[in-house]
Formats: sequence, structure tokens, C-alpha cells
Amino acid sequence: MKPTGIRRAAPLLACLGLLVVWQVASLALRNDSFPTALEAIRAVPAILGDKESLINILASLRRMAIGFVLAVGISVPLGLMMGRSRAVAAFFNPLLMVIYPVPKAALMPIIMLWLGVGDVSKTLVIFLGVSLPVIYHSFEGAKAVEEKMIWSGAAMGLSAVQRMFRIILPAALPEILTGCRTGLVLALITMVTSEMIARQSGAGNILFNALDMGQYDTVFAMIIIVGAMGICLDSAFERVRARLVRWSEPNFNVPLSFS
Amino acid sequence: MNSRALTTDLLLGAIPIALLIAVWQAINSLGYAPATLLPPPGAVFSRLFSQLYDPTFQFQIATTLFRLFAGFAIAVALGISLGIAAATNPAIDAVVRPVVRVLAPLPKVALYPAFLLLLGFNHESKIMLVAADALFPILLSTYYGASTVEQKLIWSAMAAGTPPRQILFKVVLPAAMPSILTGCRIGLVISCIVVFLAEMITSTNGLGFVLVSAARMFQTVDMFVPLITISLLGLILNGLLQAGRSYLLRGFPEA
Repeated sequence: MKPTGIRRAAPLLACLGLLVVWQVASLALRNDSFPTALEAIRAVPAILGDKESLINILASLRRMAIGFVLAVGISVPLGLMMGRSRAVAAFFNPLLMVIYPVPKAALMPIIMLWLGVGDVSKTLVIFLGVSLPVIYHSFEGAKAVEEKMIWSGAAMGLSAVQRMFRIILPAALPEILTGCRTGLVLALITMVTSEMIARQSGAGNILFNALDMGQYDTVFAMIIIVGAMGICLDSAFERVRARLVRWSEPNFNVPLSFS
Repeated sequence: MNSRALTTDLLLGAIPIALLIAVWQAINSLGYAPATLLPPPGAVFSRLFSQLYDPTFQFQIATTLFRLFAGFAIAVALGISLGIAAATNPAIDAVVRPVVRVLAPLPKVALYPAFLLLLGFNHESKIMLVAADALFPILLSTYYGASTVEQKLIWSAMAAGTPPRQILFKVVLPAAMPSILTGCRIGLVISCIVVFLAEMITSTNGLGFVLVSAARMFQTVDMFVPLITISLLGLILNGLLQAGRSYLLRGFPEA
């Protein structure tokens, strides 16, 4: 095992490495529509300093947070119930299978007809996008809970509700949090795409307007900003997750040895 | 599971879908929504069937499917080989791990403008986006599957004199197969979603374009048709993958 210092810095080094690859590639291609990494980074403060785009980005983040929290609040109980009751699972499974491959952001034009272009339709789309993976993972997590633990709980006089909160929820937590992590990334993706389709406000709007107007360094600077949001949110969530389920850390850090 | 339980499950599962369509029809018949905003289900499905025989629409489906499969195939090939390589070789692992950690949570749709500018507005940029989005679930689950292979299996193969290259194909790959296929399934659904989105954002053909052009012309019936088509495509592809899975995993316990 390498010293922890290098392992901590590895993602940062990877970022730097990717930026260097970008820089070299753009210098080699000499394409007008492909600015170098340095030019793109230089355009970042201009966007973040601009009041209007800052408001736009914050509005995006607010919609994302609301959609995500609502989705997790509804999907986790639903997934847990599906995992513990065959009838509930059979009831919802086909419906979810039908909805799963439909791109949620593609519902945007239809939802816009009903609810307008405002916050409600975008939050609804984010909600739909987040809920499916969370339901799926909670379902799998609750299904895999050891029957013996539930039986012992029942034998010791826990009611069905108590069993749900004190046995099934903690036992399924690692799986639920994996689902939430996928959901978080999906929330960001749906946020950007819904704003691309309903060009009214938000980060996706800035990105694609800049593309249409040929401001290529703004395009790439926005890519950096959105990417950084994704990476920061993910690593923050990962830290919370690691703290919550420290007891179940899977041990797949070790590469296989047979060479 | 016996066949009777299966039938009850199927019947139970049909209820919410039937309810959804019933509510949809009821909203129309009771006049809560004008047909221009929410066309009746009958109109949508009959339009869908007439469209399925229309050569133009078939061409749009074929275009979408081509992009989907090309991107998905790239993602599968890259994801499995990189995942196995990283799990078995510490040097590759040291490079791949941090790069994946940075790139996996990055919303790939945001890269789409970059792909457009670099690869043009045709197939390439869409295929690239599909591949970029489907790659990470496949890569991660391959990596996970390959690194949780029981070391004893590998030791026994080595003790039996199997050369390292063959251990890869005879022990590691089959043992990681369930996990790899789970990753492929997630990747497939993501490919369906992404190809559609990419076509919605900029395209002149494909199912996503059908939706966008219908939306521009306010043809609500035609907006539902591509959505139902992509849902059906997803179901069919998922079923095919499931069949492939039960073939590949024959002999595995509880596959």
C-alpha cells in the first residue's frame, strides 16, 4: 500500500493530468472551436464573477436540492416496502420497468405544456430522475436483509414498524446510500439537460447559449464548472456515506495478485 | 417460483399500468384537459401503430438504434478490459482509479458541447456521448467483480499449473461475470436515455429529434409516440440482455 499522502492527492493529480492532456490536445489540434485548458480556466472567474450567471447557477442548485430531497424522501420507504413485501414489489415492478428507459429530461417538453417553463417542471423532472435508482437500490438492499435478524426481532417483540426502522433500514443503509450517490449524479445530469431543453435559466442554459453564440471559452469554462460541481458533490457525499456506514466498508481496495 | 405465483405477480403488476391508462383516459373523457394538451390514449397508441409501419419513422428508429449500439459496444469493450486490467495490475490500478474517481461523477451531458465542437454534429458526437456515459457503470462493476474474485480460486488454478494469461480468461472473467452483466444492464438503460437526449439537443434525425420537432409544431400526439417507442425499445433490449445473462450464467447459483 502506498503512503496515504499520495493516495489522498491521487484524484487531484488525475485532474491535473487530464487538464494537461487537454492542453496538449488542443495545442496539437489547433482548432478554433477547441480552446486550450488555460484559456478555459481563465474564463471561469468571469462567469463566477458575473452576478446574473451566479444567480442562474444557484437557482439550478436549489432546484436540484429540492428535487433530490423529495425523491429520496419518497423513494426510500417505497423501495424498502417493495423489498419486504412480495405483493408490493409485484405491484410496482412492471410500472418502474416501463418508466426506467424513458429519459426523464425528455418528458420536459410535455411537462412544460402542463406546468409551464418554471421551477415546478424542472424540479419534477429532477425528482423523477433521482427516484428510480434510489427505489431500485433500496429495494435490493431491503431484499437482502437476513431473515434471521428479522425473525429474532419479531421474537423479541418488535412490531412491524419497529422492525422496519431498527433492523431493515440500518441493514439496507449501505445499499440505499449507493443508490443516493447514483441519484445525486443523476440529479446533476437531469438538471443540466432539463435546462438545455427549456432554455430559460440555469447552468445548462448558459452552457448551450454560449455554444450557439460561438463563445467557445465560455462553453469549456462552464464544462469545468459543472464538472467541478459533480466531483465536489460526489466526494462530499462519499465522505458522509463513509461515516454513516463505516461498519460495512467493502474490502475491494486490494488488487488481485497472480502475475 | 411456481407458475401460479407468477401469474398473480403479473396480474398485480398490470394493475398500476392499467390504472395509469384509465386515469389518462378519464381525464380526457371527463374533459379536465383539452386534447391538445393531453391526447387520449387511444389516439396515441393508434398513431404509434401507424407510425411503426411508416418507413421514415422506421429509419428514425434505426438511426437511434445504430447510435445506441455503437456507443454501448465501445463502452462494453473499454469498460470490461480496463476494469479487468485495473483489478489485476497494481500499476494500471494506480492510474485508472484516480482518473475514474474524477471522471465518473462528472455529468457527461456537460461534455456534449465539447464533443459537438470536436466531432461534428453527426453520428460521432452522439456515439461518443453514449459511450462516455455507459462506460463508467460497466467499468466500475467489472472492477468490483474482478477484485472480489476469491483468491483461493486463483491460487488453485496456479497450483494446477495454469499460466497467468489463461487464469484471466478461465477464472477471473467468469467469476466476475455476474457483476459485469449487472453493469452492462445499467449501462444499457443509460445508453437508451442518453442517445435520446443527445438527439433532442442537436440532431436532424433519430427518435429524440421526432419528439423535439413534434414539440415545436405542437403536435402533442406525436410527442408521446417517440417516448413510448424508446420505453418499448428499452424493455426489449433489457429482455434480450436478461436472456443473454441467463445463458452466460448457466450453472451459477441463483443467477
